Amino acid sequence: MTTHGETAATSTLDAHMHRACSLQEGIAEFYDQSSGLWEDIWGDHMHHGFYDPDSNVSGSDHPAAQIRMIEESLRFAGITDDPAKQPKTIVDVGCGIGGSSRYLARKFGAECRGITLSPVQAGRANVLAKYEGLADKAYVSFQVADALKQPFPDGQFDLVWSMESGEHMPDKAKFVNELARVAAPGGTIIIVTWCHRDLGPSEEDLEPWEKKLLNRICNAYYLPEWCSTSDYVKLLQSLSLQDIKAADWSERVAPFWPAVIRSAFTWKGFISLLRSGLKAIKGALVMPLMIQGYQKGVIKFAIITCRKPE
Amino acid sequence: MRLLTHNMLSSNIKGVTNGFPLKIQVEKVVEKQVEINHDFLRNIFPKIDWKAFSDASRIMGYDEMPEEPPEPSVLELNVEFLGKFHHALLELHLEEGALLCPETGRKFPVNKGIPNMLLLEDKV
Repeated sequence: MTTHGETAATSTLDAHMHRACSLQEGIAEFYDQSSGLWEDIWGDHMHHGFYDPDSNVSGSDHPAAQIRMIEESLRFAGITDDPAKQPKTIVDVGCGIGGSSRYLARKFGAECRGITLSPVQAGRANVLAKYEGLADKAYVSFQVADALKQPFPDGQFDLVWSMESGEHMPDKAKFVNELARVAAPGGTIIIVTWCHRDLGPSEEDLEPWEKKLLNRICNAYYLPEWCSTSDYVKLLQSLSLQDIKAADWSERVAPFWPAVIRSAFTWKGFISLLRSGLKAIKGALVMPLMIQGYQKGVIKFAIITCRKPE
Repeated sequence: MRLLTHNMLSSNIKGVTNGFPLKIQVEKVVEKQVEINHDFLRNIFPKIDWKAFSDASRIMGYDEMPEEPPEPSVLELNVEFLGKFHHALLELHLEEGALLCPETGRKFPVNKGIPNMLLLEDKV
């Protein structure tokens, strides 16, 4: 005989699981739909570019800026050019079509695994790896897997890389826990992600208008709730990770969204978008909100890095 | 999916204490040639769980890997062995099949060479 309390608890758990499945399915479908479109126009890096402040940026500069984002992130994390200290095993958490994975694998001559929720992306990532002849020096492989339950034993990777995937994670604590678990002793964790601004000392939450803005973006991009940069720092501290560093790079990515919007308004961009599906279109329509969010200081582009103790 | 990948995948089902190695169910194995890199092989060798690797290579239809791990000096001196190690580790691909959790028997499908490790009936 079930009590009322038991029934309520079961239905809450069911609702939670249903939401978790729906989010995962939403994310997978969003990227299944929009990946090809993005790649067609922007190439194989699905992340922000890194720019000099107040620079005049033209169309051809963006792919270079995306590469620069990878290099600046490595530099911030203290990964040097010293061959003895370079990572030999890398995991790319939320790997997209493998742009970062292939770049890092080639740069370090390392073995890199990418995980993504999108089977379409994993397939495309493998094809691109083959085209780029990544067989001779370095090795990449891609799996469909959940970043909250990574299918790897503990302590595998010298470098744990999460480039703009953190914003999709519904449970930041589990996400960070998994990053730390699969990092090798002495390994480096690099998280580059969208956050909301840090709360002031007397604040319990964001302002209602700020939450409303973020909710509209969440809806279109299959993002669960946002957290702040200092939330990430606290999570890393709670896991006794060392050399924790964080920075606000919002000003270094400012030219990015206007460029994305401009690309959507080219004839090619527009037609491709129409062909890609409703989820992709919805994502495109919300892009001005990203700019608004940055301009009003609600959205921050953050990098957080640390090391796992030996 | 190469055996190098298989050697670092484990079952992530909650409550499973020993999720490694995943059992391989073969439907289709494909051989894809890849240029050999001796340094890479020597670097990766210490990270390989040898028993899991040699068992898996036999299931994939390749019998040349010994059951006992070789001495590191073999990798330094025996080029023929390096070639066989290279072939088993990097050139045999499970295109279609499945990986099974050693404790629960749960199947993770492998399609077009990509393992799907998602646990959609979320075991929270």
